[in-house]
Amino acid sequence: MDRRIVIARAVASEAWISIKANKLRSFLTTLGIIIGVCAVVIMVAAGQTVQNMINQQLSGIGANLLIIRPEFTTQGGLRGGTQSIIRTNDADAIRNVRNIIAVSPMVMTTRQIAYKSQNFATQLIASTTDVAKTGNYEIESGRFFDERDMRGAVPVVVIGSTIQQELFHGADPVGEVIRIGNVPFTVKGLLKTKGQGIGGQDQDAVVLMPITTFRRRIFGTRIPNRVQMIMAQVSDERFIEEAKLQIEVVLRETRRLKPDAENDFIIDNMTEMLNTIRSVGLYLSVLLASIAGISLVVGSIGIMNMMLVSVSERTREIGIRKAIGAKNSSILMQFLLESILISFIGSMVGMVLGIGLGQIAGAVMGYAVPISYMTVLLAVAVAIVVGVAAGIVPAMKATRLDPIEALRYQ
Amino acid sequence: MSAKLPPVIKIASLHKTYYMDGGQNYPVLHGLDLKIEAGEFVAIMGPSGSGKSTLMNILGCLDKPTRGEYYIDGVLVSKMNQDELADVRNQKIGFVFQGFNLLMQRSIIDNTKIPMMYLGLTGAEQDERAMKALAHVKLTGFETRLPTQISGGMQQRVAIARALVNSPSLLLADEPTGNLDSKTSDEVMKIFTDLNREGKTVVVITHEPDVARYAKRLVYIKDGLIKYDGDVKKFKAGANG
Ligand SMILES: Nc1ncnc2c1ncn2[C@@H]1O[C@H](COP(=O)(O)OP(=O)(O)O)[C@@H](O)[C@H]1O
Ligand SMILES: [Mg+2]
Repeated sequence: MDRRIVIARAVASEAWISIKANKLRSFLTTLGIIIGVCAVVIMVAAGQTVQNMINQQLSGIGANLLIIRPEFTTQGGLRGGTQSIIRTNDADAIRNVRNIIAVSPMVMTTRQIAYKSQNFATQLIASTTDVAKTGNYEIESGRFFDERDMRGAVPVVVIGSTIQQELFHGADPVGEVIRIGNVPFTVKGLLKTKGQGIGGQDQDAVVLMPITTFRRRIFGTRIPNRVQMIMAQVSDERFIEEAKLQIEVVLRETRRLKPDAENDFIIDNMTEMLNTIRSVGLYLSVLLASIAGISLVVGSIGIMNMMLVSVSERTREIGIRKAIGAKNSSILMQFLLESILISFIGSMVGMVLGIGLGQIAGAVMGYAVPISYMTVLLAVAVAIVVGVAAGIVPAMKATRLDPIEALRYQ
Repeated sequence: MSAKLPPVIKIASLHKTYYMDGGQNYPVLHGLDLKIEAGEFVAIMGPSGSGKSTLMNILGCLDKPTRGEYYIDGVLVSKMNQDELADVRNQKIGFVFQGFNLLMQRSIIDNTKIPMMYLGLTGAEQDERAMKALAHVKLTGFETRLPTQISGGMQQRVAIARALVNSPSLLLADEPTGNLDSKTSDEVMKIFTDLNREGKTVVVITHEPDVARYAKRLVYIKDGLIKYDGDVKKFKAGANG
């Protein structure tokens, strides 16, 4: 075996022996790192949990959405009074804009629905087939309503999983007939579960139907063709701003606005809003981890302090070792390894503890707390960085000692 | 001895000056010439402060001369770098100090093994050699004791065992009996005598004539110069001022 490897192993075991020789001191020093890494791991997990929750809640919304909604009409320069009206034909106009791949005019209302003796009040959304894309609805069983349903105003609905639970007690609802008011509707499809929305609302308590069906068979709005808003999906994030400008031009034209008139509609860029929400989540996690990181810095100062004390206490030992043939590299390695070992043990224990506490807290509070490989990488990186950073100065100090001076030291 | 081996120690016009931070210089050794052949037993004597330890530290490669040359086994060591000197200390020299200089938290056998650890010997070989060296200084059975659990004389014998394990060509001892009573001193000096008889080159610093008598050759230093170099028995204290 290579002589240097044999020496390195022997030096490592010397480092371990001196850690063991001062059990209490080593333990207290390690504790600083345990607490630091544990805090960071917990905070990273907490941050990720929050981000996951945000992402899950935002998943209820399709990608690259523009939302067109009414503006309060201006009267004599003042805002207020009556709301402008968005109509189905506005949606038809938007459909021709470049890079727009889905447009769904939305009518949303609350209705009582019934199946046999069961009753349930739920949100009813009437729209076009495109709502599957803009609203990010996926089918669990059956099918979504199609163009033919649209054209024929066929009395069909697609229902969310909460409705399935409430009316059908979890049984397959496809093909069953429910009633809204006195009108029968055939359940054509069951949606995949979405969970809570951003506001905490149940996204699965929903009934979807073609807007044409709604107009002919339910008719809830006073003004024909009026919708609450239009959702328009852009093919790619890069085209959103351009599409927004195009929609503005097209709508002004359709709505016959005079050149000097202000827009009587609002176009919201949902992607922008979602990114803002997501980045808040990210900043929050980084902030939490950084605060926890301070305790880690304190922990590593603890190691450095202990190592400095240890080097001055062991001046004579260092002199003896040098006098009988230890090279500077062996002395440097011995003290550096001592610091790295302490920080390594502390990091591993802190990591396990942090993951464990995170899982327990998650279980108690009912959240799924992720265990990421990032945490493991982080702990290993911390172990090495902190160990080297805290140990290098004391180890250099030990290395620089003159053997004769060191031997004179009492 | 047939073919002419180079001397174990050869120093030529060796000077040592200590430079203080304040700018003062303390010249201690003023040009020493000395040759010690393999197998010799040399005592170095001299008044306190004459530069004996300074010389010994240079001979032990713990310090470098300010001027002059130093050869061990014909190899120039006075120009070596720190790592090379560490190897010389580890392999060529066994150093015994007045204050024993054992690692107080480590067992007798662990102390004996440390030079072998820096040589890169495997555990099994370390065990074997350490046991042999401890047997040599009559410490078999004390392997697991701590230095604090044995007498000063025994501690010095551990230090000698430690000095022997890497089979150096040269044993250096700076006042090895300075902390011991006369009975233990004799025990320690008998070990040096035995080692010398087995062929080791031994150089011992002492200020006690009784101790010096174990050697064959005496080097007397005063004021940083060699004032006498010859047979121990022919040296008369005070005659060389
Ligand atoms: N590191 C040093 N710095 C300055 N002066 C020293 C140092 N070491 C020794 N000296 C001085 O050098 C002289 C010789 O010291 P030393 O070699 O220890 O003498 P001895 O061992 O013969 O008693 C003394 O005057 C001592 O004070
Ligand atoms: Mg001295």
